[in-house]
Amino acid sequence: MKSFQNIQKIVAKFKVKPGPEMRSKVLDEALEIQRNQNQQSISDTKLNIWRIIMKSPITKLATAAVAAIACFIGLSLWRTTGSGIALADVLARVEQVKAYSFKRTLHFWSEKVTGKDPNTPYIRGTFLISQEYGWKGKIEHLDPNGGDSTFDEYCVLPQKNTTIAISHKKKKYTRKQQDDGWIERVQKANIDITDPHTFLKQMLKTKYESLGRSTMDGIEVEGFRTTDPNSLVGTSSSNSGPSKRLDQKLWVDVKTRLPVRCDATWVDFDQMENKKKYERHVLYDFQWDVPVASADFEPVIPEGYASWVVKYPTHITEENAIQGLKVLVELLGKYPENIYHIVPENINDDAPTVLRLAEKSETPAAMRLKEEIKGLTDDEINNKLVDFLMPIRGLGRFYRYLQFDKKDPAYYGKTVTPKDTDKVLMRWKVSDSEYRVIYGDLHAETVTPAKLAELEAALPQ
Amino acid sequence: MLEDKLLLWKFKRGSSEALERIYDKYEAYLITVATALLNNTHAAEDVLHDFFISFVKSADKVKLHGNLKAYLATCVANLARNRIKRMQREPIALDDNDSIESAALEPDLLAIQEEETAILNQAISQLPYEQREVIVLHLQADMRFTQIAKLRSTSVNTIRSRYRYGLEKLRSLLNSEVLK
Repeated sequence: MKSFQNIQKIVAKFKVKPGPEMRSKVLDEALEIQRNQNQQSISDTKLNIWRIIMKSPITKLATAAVAAIACFIGLSLWRTTGSGIALADVLARVEQVKAYSFKRTLHFWSEKVTGKDPNTPYIRGTFLISQEYGWKGKIEHLDPNGGDSTFDEYCVLPQKNTTIAISHKKKKYTRKQQDDGWIERVQKANIDITDPHTFLKQMLKTKYESLGRSTMDGIEVEGFRTTDPNSLVGTSSSNSGPSKRLDQKLWVDVKTRLPVRCDATWVDFDQMENKKKYERHVLYDFQWDVPVASADFEPVIPEGYASWVVKYPTHITEENAIQGLKVLVELLGKYPENIYHIVPENINDDAPTVLRLAEKSETPAAMRLKEEIKGLTDDEINNKLVDFLMPIRGLGRFYRYLQFDKKDPAYYGKTVTPKDTDKVLMRWKVSDSEYRVIYGDLHAETVTPAKLAELEAALPQ
Repeated sequence: MLEDKLLLWKFKRGSSEALERIYDKYEAYLITVATALLNNTHAAEDVLHDFFISFVKSADKVKLHGNLKAYLATCVANLARNRIKRMQREPIALDDNDSIESAALEPDLLAIQEEETAILNQAISQLPYEQREVIVLHLQADMRFTQIAKLRSTSVNTIRSRYRYGLEKLRSLLNSEVLK
């Protein structure tokens, strides 16, 4: 048993060694920026008048007053009455639209944090969604410390089972050939009221009220509002418990019956901290039924960007898992102790992870691998190992899907060896009366829960 | 302490030697803090990269009220916290990080650390982020509870509670069969 003091000592002693390329990667860029700044500061001595004006307390007050008046005018416009639009009809119309685009901002703030402007978004993005071609987003993440923002692009191409992520900051892009079950699970995993379709669907589950008719950006709209936190149930925003309070509003174009603006703010009361935490999503600038072509969803990769290719087996099955375990045993000479050791899924660290795993190994497969990649860069290694890594990725994803689908998976690589024909290496639930088991020698069979309990009781401690 | 003040003074005046010295002096410390918070070496390296770039770009705005070490850890913790939020909220998060279950269960760190360190890190990753942050900032970054409380705009008692609950949970995790 570890004592309280021991734990403190262990944590305090925990050290991570920076990667060998870290210094040059970070410091060289920082020094380069510093050099440019030094030159700039010599040549540019003009005062930033705008900044001085905005720093003035009087200007701040005046700006706040203007904003308050604008809000008041806005609110007074929305208080007219007259309802007639059914939200179910709006949802049906959204579902009929083949392609649309919108902008989104995401804001976080908390009650007691002073000096944080709730109107400044953490994330802002533009999105293009097509029933036929998929999903494309350009997302800007803002630095809370006032530094530069980052700008990333993402594409999800369901027909091709492909996702593409471009990091403009790193001048790098990743193309992932996903498996068949990925799209379905990613939709479940990330469900949130951050697209108009989900926003409407969730709102329809609640008792909402009409805000009446008004004019917004020159368009006659009808507003709807709900404060029922059930609108968040089933979304990833509902994780933090029943203390959540919600204010969700939607404005619909009276003529087209399509959304013009969605605005949701929810509040969590953190009992430990005794403070409220706010999160706000605003969806706006909708363009409905925009003409799109498949080319609109193919991202333009700027010249000189490093590429990173990741492939998964088309179908994630038990056979993939067994194949992945086999490759790992050949490479390492034994099963990895922890299942997470064998899941090299992080998009940028795949090749180095496998190298690190294989580095200490002297199996013929490891020696061959080391020989093949000697002197290659990370990118070259990745390109060379795309197919080699696929079964291992398949294994990792298989296990993650078991977790995601709540199939009660377990893995015993720490104590089970490839020679163990009767010991459970990995297992998961098939139904209430059946478990599937992969044994140490990689044969598999279906067993009852009672038999599994027996097998697991026999495992070495 | 004096060296740090001098370094910062020089750094704010554009000294590349000062920047290099700050980097070399605190690189390992900051990567440890970021890795413990994010449980992902790649993400930790990204955070460190973002921090140093932002540090240089806003050199003229840096105001040090305490010591440099705590200031650096605070900035890195803010970026790490933001990254966690981003990972939880992004519609593409699954693709970006490939972690269905939790962003905290990244495998790459576990693969490169020694087993004991990996176990410790896995245990830390199972703590609620608020508790993990206090433990890391207090034990790793040597920040006092009052400093952490100020950073998170909360009371010292709350921070102490988080620390105590976090350590209790960590102890039970490390002593339990789950991680063996």
